[in-house]
Amino acid sequence: MGSIIGIDVGGTFTDAVLIAGTEIIKTGKIPTQSDDLLNTILNALDYLEVSKINSLEQITVSTTLVTNAILQKRLPPIELVLFPGSGMKLSSLNWPVAYRTISGELDYRGRIVAPVNQGEWQALAEDLIKDNSSPKVAIVSKFSHRNNSFEKDLAAFLKDRIPNISLALGSEWGQANFYRRSLTTYLNLACRDLAATFATQLQNALKARGCQAPVRVLKADGGVLPLTKVRPVESIYSGPAASVLGALALSNSEESYIVVDVGGTTTDIGLVLSGKPLMSSKGAQIASFLTNVRSLAVRSIPVGGDSSVLTENGKIVLADYRLGSAYCLGGTTPTPTDAMCYLGLINYGNYTRAEEALNSLLPENQQNAASRQKIAEQIIKLMTEKITQAIEQLLKEWRDEPAYKIWEVLNKPKTHKFQIQLSGGGAEGIVAALEEQLKARVIWTSLSPVSNAIGAALAKPTFSWTLNLDTYLKRYRIEETGEQGEWTGAKKPHREVENFLFDLARRQGESLGINMESLEKEPFDYFPLVEGYYTVGQIIRGSVHVPPGVIQTLAEGGK
Amino acid sequence: MKKTGIIFFPAFDWSLGETHPEREERLLYTQEQIFEEGVMDLPQIKQYTPVIGDLFDVLRTQAIFPGPEEHSLEAHLVAVGCSLVLGKALMAREIDNGFALVRPPGHHSGTIVWGNRGFCTLNNEAILVNHLRANYGIKKVAIIDTDVHHGDGTQDIFYHDPNVLCISIHQDGRTLYPGTGFTDEKGGPNAWETILNIPLVPGVGDEGFLYTLENWVLPRVQEFKPDLIINSAGQDNHFTDPLASMNVSAQGYGRITELIRPDLAVLEGGYSIQGALPYVNLAILLALAGEDYSGVIEPQKIKRQVVGGEVFRSYLKNLKKQHDMTKPAWDYRKEKFLPQGNWVYREKSIFYDTEYFQEYRQEYIRECEHCGGTVLIITQNLQTYRRGVLIRIPFEACPACCQAGYDLLEFFKAKEKIVLMQNQLKNEVHFWKDSREVRSFESKN
Repeated sequence: MGSIIGIDVGGTFTDAVLIAGTEIIKTGKIPTQSDDLLNTILNALDYLEVSKINSLEQITVSTTLVTNAILQKRLPPIELVLFPGSGMKLSSLNWPVAYRTISGELDYRGRIVAPVNQGEWQALAEDLIKDNSSPKVAIVSKFSHRNNSFEKDLAAFLKDRIPNISLALGSEWGQANFYRRSLTTYLNLACRDLAATFATQLQNALKARGCQAPVRVLKADGGVLPLTKVRPVESIYSGPAASVLGALALSNSEESYIVVDVGGTTTDIGLVLSGKPLMSSKGAQIASFLTNVRSLAVRSIPVGGDSSVLTENGKIVLADYRLGSAYCLGGTTPTPTDAMCYLGLINYGNYTRAEEALNSLLPENQQNAASRQKIAEQIIKLMTEKITQAIEQLLKEWRDEPAYKIWEVLNKPKTHKFQIQLSGGGAEGIVAALEEQLKARVIWTSLSPVSNAIGAALAKPTFSWTLNLDTYLKRYRIEETGEQGEWTGAKKPHREVENFLFDLARRQGESLGINMESLEKEPFDYFPLVEGYYTVGQIIRGSVHVPPGVIQTLAEGGK
Repeated sequence: MKKTGIIFFPAFDWSLGETHPEREERLLYTQEQIFEEGVMDLPQIKQYTPVIGDLFDVLRTQAIFPGPEEHSLEAHLVAVGCSLVLGKALMAREIDNGFALVRPPGHHSGTIVWGNRGFCTLNNEAILVNHLRANYGIKKVAIIDTDVHHGDGTQDIFYHDPNVLCISIHQDGRTLYPGTGFTDEKGGPNAWETILNIPLVPGVGDEGFLYTLENWVLPRVQEFKPDLIINSAGQDNHFTDPLASMNVSAQGYGRITELIRPDLAVLEGGYSIQGALPYVNLAILLALAGEDYSGVIEPQKIKRQVVGGEVFRSYLKNLKKQHDMTKPAWDYRKEKFLPQGNWVYREKSIFYDTEYFQEYRQEYIRECEHCGGTVLIITQNLQTYRRGVLIRIPFEACPACCQAGYDLLEFFKAKEKIVLMQNQLKNEVHFWKDSREVRSFESKN
């Protein structure tokens, strides 16, 4: 078996790991250059001496490329064209971007209610090229996940008149929610060039180092896809996904636990139920964009080992930002890391500087050992309290998941007894405090500091195929790929439809390089379609998926 | 902007039969519509998760005979549980109002349950109302039923309860199931005029319906001064409904909701599952959330003739005259088993259309100036010939009515096999079956 590399780009540090079989060959932490992601990754690869590794099979990265571009508003202008039809007013929701609307309406089964107006299309085409000969245009119609014809027709019309146009269609995102689908389509188009440039640069740089291994990207849902096949916006929040996968890689497969990954800047919290990461019931939100991007249920809070500690009206508070590294590591402000260093909870940092950091928070007449001890303990407690709050919110989200079937309500899982799987650079010093606060077993191993990179390296390629079939209208749709096609099978198909979805999934999964052995089926829902008192067809919903997970675990005894 | 709670429970795995109106498909398109619109992303909307209801809450309000274990209640208990989740959220001030968009419905299910009636087994609204009265100090409640069918079950449950005003606006019982709900049904001896029925002629549309609300329903509600308003939000007044013949539009339903301003709305009927429900549910939700629903337009147009204008206004005027003229006439009885006091007697038979059998019922109500009065009901399922007895001591019962309830219990416990005591005053439920008390229905609150 050859070697694999995992790289997790964090806010403060980038972790890198080289694994051969079940053996960790080399790990490392490199400072993240937030303005030069490519260079950060290349530094990590050079640290692992990528050019000297013989049988390197693959490199997996969790990157903040797209996340940062969105958060820092570094997106090119996009024209968003909507077919909103009737219904709720667009202005009822908060649109973070401008849009224009045109006529044409579909209903919930994708049937045409009001036709399009080609006169409007001509005017639109003329307007789009007024000050840009190569506009980027996202076209989204309400219910396009049921019928993509309006979007496709308009796209063809515009392409015909504007050869240099870049187009994206809402129906490429097959889930319900016109608002989220519009914003997702917008973001994905906006990030497309950025992601493509990055992919080319990275591949060229690897080639220059004599490395031929394919590069994979971690997605928000905990899966991985080849760098060239991933839809850019799906790579947001790959950091928290790496945390959860890292925990999976370092634990036994059937356990339930809360993942707490404490970095320098942020702490990510995730949930694993009997070995399966919890997925969020809604799409991910990034800045003020609500999207349809499937993601793990994770909470990210601005608390980390390097969070600034301040005094406000004589009280100690933990700021939700970081000003460089910890004082004991040469930084300028006191941080939880200084408290950990002073209390002897970590074996790095300059003790004298940690003492100075704590003194700076105390009035001059109280700068003694007892007060420093007290204030250090207080800082750690503040940190674990914030983490505990976030854990409780996440558990509430899990308990409050919607249910739409009697079966789901009756078989609601009972509360688990959770362990805490702790990881990340800032975590070692809070093991005992967290155990005390949560009254739960905290697992921390020697691999925990770089577990994210391990998670990225070992992540399994995953995918889901969710079918919506209307046998009366003879149309099928796949949510995740946006594929729509004609159904030529029976009006009441039963088994036939399951085989149809399995075949489709196998075919597409193999072309994405996914191991289809672990393909799982969710129960299919059959809705008889009744007109008058006769059943005229069925609407069938069902899904199959290769669930997120790791190709192998490296579990070792906790301490 | 109002904080609106929604619980969406379409029971996608439950039906009363493959082509039955109450089938899996019923809320499928409603789900497609509200999810596609992004309603759940409105900042003021909070979605709640369904839970299964508690039998204690059911038995406080309804007598499930011969016993809950002999019915298939799971789906109905989830619908009950959903309604209670929103009730609790309202009481905790997490929300300003809420919509339980749930199946199965409940408003045809009455005081006694021998089976399913009009697609209903448990009365979601009634159980909710009594739960809130028992646990949160709510005193007076108005239930406004805007389903096209008479809310006969709800009326039955509160017929003798002076603190619950039940108003049902529906298509005339001479032309539609369940065939009741006339203006002379005005409440029992201690609750006279707390039942208001407004049967409408077929063909009434938005204008007539809203006129009725503004000129009759809302003034009556204001006069009653309820602590809480519940809307039994059936949607079969819509002009596309296959079972009824009215002409209300989706926007009309939005306006109805705006006028009623319910604290909680609970879905009842409505079987135009493609033509009406996606649009009506959307309009109701938007109206509750204080959003503009003027863009909600169903694709079909009204084809039936609309009854409105002067024709309708004079119809309603006559109806009101008829209503006002009805005076009470009680039949007093002096049976040996009746404790001290004046007891009014009523008897009736109730048809269970889903399973096709009759219930025969005798009711004795203790006339009382101080409280709602203790009620005794002797009921028989005419298909199985099984009998059951219900004794109800009302909320805020006076000592004499309370004692009367205990005396009745002593008598019937020794004589009958199935006896249920609903002690609403003490928030207790006692159930005897085959002369043994069943212990499993105690309050968990």
